[in-house]
Amino acid sequence: MRKFLVILGFIAAILAVVLAVTPLSNIALIPAIVAFILGLAIFYLSKKQNQSKKVVQYIFILTIISIGITTYKSVFNEVEVGDTEELQERADESVEDSKEILEDLDIEEIDDIDMEELDGLEID
Amino acid sequence: MQRIILVLAILISSLTYSQNYTVGAGEKLTFTASYNMSGLMTDLAQVTMETSEVKTSKATLLRLKCTAATYSKWDNFFKIRDLYESYVSPRTLTPYLYKRDISEGGYYKFMQYKYSHKTGTVKSLKRKKRKDGTFWNENKNVSIGSATRDLVSTLYKLRTLDFSSYSTGTSKSFTVLFDNKENVVNFKYLGTETISTNIGKKTCYKLAISINNSNVLKGSNDNLLWLTADENKIPVYAKFKIAVGSGELKIKSASGLKN
Repeated sequence: MRKFLVILGFIAAILAVVLAVTPLSNIALIPAIVAFILGLAIFYLSKKQNQSKKVVQYIFILTIISIGITTYKSVFNEVEVGDTEELQERADESVEDSKEILEDLDIEEIDDIDMEELDGLEID
Repeated sequence: MQRIILVLAILISSLTYSQNYTVGAGEKLTFTASYNMSGLMTDLAQVTMETSEVKTSKATLLRLKCTAATYSKWDNFFKIRDLYESYVSPRTLTPYLYKRDISEGGYYKFMQYKYSHKTGTVKSLKRKKRKDGTFWNENKNVSIGSATRDLVSTLYKLRTLDFSSYSTGTSKSFTVLFDNKENVVNFKYLGTETISTNIGKKTCYKLAISINNSNVLKGSNDNLLWLTADENKIPVYAKFKIAVGSGELKIKSASGLKN
């Protein structure tokens, strides 16, 4: 039982650290909390069975690291959009290209189409 | 006499119904797209919806532009720079040209639809990137129904509907051409609801979205869209349920509104 909990606890703690490093740092809180609860459970089991509590320390250290990174990121990382110059360039090019295409299309003709036809169906 | 009045009333209502009094040029809406897993929110990308005027020698058109760009913390992982455009008639929002230019984590795709409403066809062009960096094109003629639109113009067309005359539970369906296939998208009116947004507390029309024969969106009545219950009917909040977790789209700012 204790061994099983130790393995689970380590998996959760390591997962928390890994997630905390990625941009998905918010989600790292879930495995961090799981690891913390498992750590407590292992602590009480170890106390009861008079076994070493060293492993609990490792799990707690990893949990604290992951929560630390997550908190740091959520406080100091400002949410901002990266470079959109390339996107802007693409959009500008597209307008020029579109203008040429639209010149070739017969627009006035289309505009006269009875719009009733183009509207969607209504179902009650 | 009564019959004449009835016919007139129907005519007038159908005229106002198909006209666009909602969307003007110079409108800019900015949204934050986020992903929600078990209550933990992660901001993913910024989505913008812009309109502008485009003049050709024959006509003035409205350009509807939607972009999506991931926040900088994601760029090293999965960089998204998507551009969706639709060139529509400012009067009726009928699309003439649609472009979809997406770049998502190394994957590139370009789609272009040239509408010919008279013949009921769309000239579609698909461009993809090969692994060695070269491009290949695929041209296709797709026949479409008279009510078929693209994704972007459908989003804007939705805003021209007169929801105040709808009773709760009324459904409206649109045929949307996506990846050369026609999909039927249903919007079900669920009444009004007041929600607080970044641009203030708004009374909104609440709509449920579903797509026929598609399993992208999960659950019924779990994919919702809130449009402000005023003349502008701007989308302020959207919620989507997907296979793992759910996504959200929240308005950040709105400017240049017509009304």
